[in-house]
Amino acid sequence: MKIKKLLFVTKFEELGFDALQALLILRQAGLEHVVFVNIIERERVAMRRGTGYSKEAEIRLRETANIRFIDWAENLFEQGMEVGAYIVVGNLVGEVIKAAQKEEADLIVVGRSQKGVIEQLYAGSDITELLHRTAKPILVYKYLTESSFALEKPFETPVLATDWSPASLRAVDFLKELNGIINKIHVVHVADQKKLSGSAMAIQKTRKEIRGRLDEICHIFETEGISASPHVYVGSPDQEIEKAARDCQATLIVMGSSGKANWVERWLGSTPRNIAEKSDYPTLLIPPKQL
Amino acid sequence: MGKKVLVVDDDPDVRLFNVTVLEENGYTALVATNGEEGKIMAKQEKPDLVILDVLMPRESGIRLYRELKTDKNLKHVPIIMLSGIAEKSFLRSQKVLAEFGDTPVPEPEAYLEKPVDAEELAATIKKIIG
Repeated sequence: MKIKKLLFVTKFEELGFDALQALLILRQAGLEHVVFVNIIERERVAMRRGTGYSKEAEIRLRETANIRFIDWAENLFEQGMEVGAYIVVGNLVGEVIKAAQKEEADLIVVGRSQKGVIEQLYAGSDITELLHRTAKPILVYKYLTESSFALEKPFETPVLATDWSPASLRAVDFLKELNGIINKIHVVHVADQKKLSGSAMAIQKTRKEIRGRLDEICHIFETEGISASPHVYVGSPDQEIEKAARDCQATLIVMGSSGKANWVERWLGSTPRNIAEKSDYPTLLIPPKQL
Repeated sequence: MGKKVLVVDDDPDVRLFNVTVLEENGYTALVATNGEEGKIMAKQEKPDLVILDVLMPRESGIRLYRELKTDKNLKHVPIIMLSGIAEKSFLRSQKVLAEFGDTPVPEPEAYLEKPVDAEELAATIKKIIG
């Protein structure tokens, strides 16, 4: 799972060139090609009345995006990188999926969803929909305006939250490839408080078992030359993963994404979606291999 | 049949403009929509000239330019770069790639920054392939 090509999906206001520059650290792990994607959503070029759309609005939006992409591309070309671009009118998720398939991208980078709570409930979140329609890893990049940790090295200290699912194990394979750029990885499992019942001895036994499984994952990373440490937390996964990230001074949260149906996630929520959309930390979501 | 000119550009408006200029001036236009397609067509058709954009999906004009200029059968095909990317950035990128160990390549026969008017394009083509 090497990242040779990444798709940088931007509406400009939520993801700028500084974010992309921070991701260029991935060149040390094999990144060669960046593809910019700007989707002009249909409602932005729709006429106020009637069925048509405004060609003039489309041209203006396309050219505005093109001007930014030319500027960014010149910078990357001059660094010896390969660059491509898509400026397309259509549905955001559908067009991103199409571009990712055409380009055979290894990673999709998106900004935090701008949809409101009600809109997300009925229309679903772009991130959730993307996760359900692609097996490609998705990095939800965020600006950390109030936090103090370094944005310029997003892969330096990741927290890998694992629930032993196939997607979580795929995340291990993905992170192994980043051995040149990860300084230390914290492997975290959040145990369900309700399952910790019985005597103190029984609870300690459960903790020991979890710790043993985390040690196995840490060993995989250490074999690859990546320093890793295990951590057991207890409670609500959403809150505890965020807490772990703070405790570890993490730069990134990495998780396998759930295989729950889209409508289930929309109504009941899921930890990967909640972390991706609400956490202060950039979040890398690894879907299961088979969708 | 006029001389064959391959236009490689992802923008349909630019392709249409280039094809119109070529046909009005008696050339035969071939079109490709990205670098990858351009490479296949250049190998199949062996054009007399290539008009090449830089920023495109699948494969950029930077990479295709290198591939054409290092291909023993195609390196003598003249290339007009026609792009929004500045010539300075194009030349710097080629220099950086050569420093990374790629084969050095000559400068293109012409470099036109978009937008270009029909007369200028036609004159440049005529100057290179007659």
